[in-house]
Amino acid sequence: MASARPIDGLHAELPFATAAAMTVRVRSDELFGHADGVLDTYDPGRVHDMRVATRRLRAVLEIYAPCFPATALKSVLSDVKVLADGLGARRDPDVQLEDLQAFAAALDPQDGPGIELFASRLRAEQEAGNEVLARALEAATESDLRSRLTALADESQASVSV
Amino acid sequence: MKAAKVRGLKREAPLADSLQRIVETRLRELWAFMPGVQDPRRVSELHDMRIAAKRLRYCLEISTGLFGPYAAVALGRAKELQKVLGEIHDCDMTLPRVTALSAQAQAADVAAVLAAAGQAADLDPALLASSAPNVAAQRGLATTALYLRARRELLFARFLDLWLQLEREGFRARLEFAAGERPVPAAPSHDLHVDAVPADLLSVTA
Repeated sequence: MASARPIDGLHAELPFATAAAMTVRVRSDELFGHADGVLDTYDPGRVHDMRVATRRLRAVLEIYAPCFPATALKSVLSDVKVLADGLGARRDPDVQLEDLQAFAAALDPQDGPGIELFASRLRAEQEAGNEVLARALEAATESDLRSRLTALADESQASVSV
Repeated sequence: MKAAKVRGLKREAPLADSLQRIVETRLRELWAFMPGVQDPRRVSELHDMRIAAKRLRYCLEISTGLFGPYAAVALGRAKELQKVLGEIHDCDMTLPRVTALSAQAQAADVAAVLAAAGQAADLDPALLASSAPNVAAQRGLATTALYLRARRELLFARFLDLWLQLEREGFRARLEFAAGERPVPAAPSHDLHVDAVPADLLSVTA
């Protein structure tokens, strides 16, 4: 898992809204930095890293919520959630299949057909998850989510700079 | 679960003071789940508590360097709590899926056996081997369900142990205290010599 990039320059006395702007910029860059190749089914690590980045971004948007214009924040949060759900739809079956495989290795071979039946469901979800994720990524691009995040950060910064 | 509103946050207020308010609210939110979630059947409350622990954790990730030293320890504890509650949640989500799949497979087998029986006056047991494709799968599904039930119980006991440990170490009070501390940036060593400080100021009991 990629660790969170540090937010350089944060200190206790910094205005809350300045910290919000700095943090959202870094977390947003982090998120979109993981977007390349995220639909590559041979590299599930990319999906995981982007999902973690989405969680971090959502968390900072909620923590710093009072610093942003309410309507714009609501719409951005909703789109980030769609992206997070898309990443979850793709990632959850990956994790469940890995866990199931490890679990099955410890069982009697007679349990195999039942495990395989469950695994087949998970594989179907995995395939459907990639389509859900592709749609979520497309929606994020179409709604220009990245620029809207930048605008939120700019407005937060401007609110304490005047 | 919608996060409780944090009162008194202002854009121009110092970051550490704002985060202190948020941490205090998130702690209250987390503590409100007890003693209710000591009942293992409170599935949705346990899930909401996981979300509350996650919110506290993310807030502490931003705050640790700005608060007193216990905040870093508290971050680790919040992660532990979130993890065990997450694993309980996974069991709660997966078990109904496995039991539903088992029921679905059995219903499909019943339909297949009945179709194979046709107009027979009674059901021939031999049809089970020839016409019920999912019979072999039932054992693995039952084993999986058994494992999930047992693991859930074990994880729930771990969760209660962890909570007791948090209470014993005074997690909430210590974190509230740490959230009010503002560490002074380390001064260059030549600025302060312990030898130069009067002994009564160094004494805890002074």
